[in-house]
Amino acid sequence: MTLTGLIGRVCMFPLQLIISTCVALRIHPNILTFVGLLINVAAAVALGRGRFVLAGFIMGVANIFDFIDGKVAHQLNAISVFGGFWDSVIDRFSDIALFVGLIYLYSRLGRTDYVMITALAMMFAIMTSYTRARAESLIAKCKVGFMERPERIVLFLIGAFTNRMAAVMWVIGVLSVFTVADRIIYTYRALQAHPQKVVA
Amino acid sequence: MKRAATLPGRILWNAFFWTYERATWQYDLMVIAILAFVWLTPPGWLHDPTASGEGPIGWLKTVLARQ
Repeated sequence: MTLTGLIGRVCMFPLQLIISTCVALRIHPNILTFVGLLINVAAAVALGRGRFVLAGFIMGVANIFDFIDGKVAHQLNAISVFGGFWDSVIDRFSDIALFVGLIYLYSRLGRTDYVMITALAMMFAIMTSYTRARAESLIAKCKVGFMERPERIVLFLIGAFTNRMAAVMWVIGVLSVFTVADRIIYTYRALQAHPQKVVA
Repeated sequence: MKRAATLPGRILWNAFFWTYERATWQYDLMVIAILAFVWLTPPGWLHDPTASGEGPIGWLKTVLARQ
């Protein structure tokens, strides 16, 4: 078993307990998704005030909701097409909220260099999701590139708890650029191999 | 005719054009490289506006110094 696989298994034990509780209370997964967003907004406020450790704890709680909504939907037999759409949209808002919190902080500190770095990291993080969504309307699957949402969340947590948010913004920014490029290249190659009709 | 890529070239291309799943050794290696960058790069090099102290490396040094 790999190191990251082992960490994933250990984290699954408490999460399973929370999932079982939500299923027992029959909480609708779309509500869990929305609550996750509200908590992420609170984390963004903490980031904006430079309270990184507090923000880290709040992000941790928010991401429990993000993680369990799909599992609860599965166990409640409440999986729906709208639920998937809702989840994706709310996830983007959650992502943007955290970046906006940091942009506010760096702006307040008068650091336009990090305002730009964070804004670019945000732009490419959103484009990472967009390129995959758009690609998968043309080809079957486009799951290439390293920097997806779970990686971003873990990096935000690491940056917050160890006060290394600037380094984290560089990593998210650079690897998101690579991920977007990977997805464009992959889609181009897939479409060259199996040309489609032009979709407007 | 395609030229055979050299080993360093292939490693760089595979790191850039990422197709590995999570929980593979390649993924673990990438995670270690990222953590090393985040924790070992002196904040001054990046002109980090908020970082203070030596971070995780400093904590480790303190713990080792106590023993």
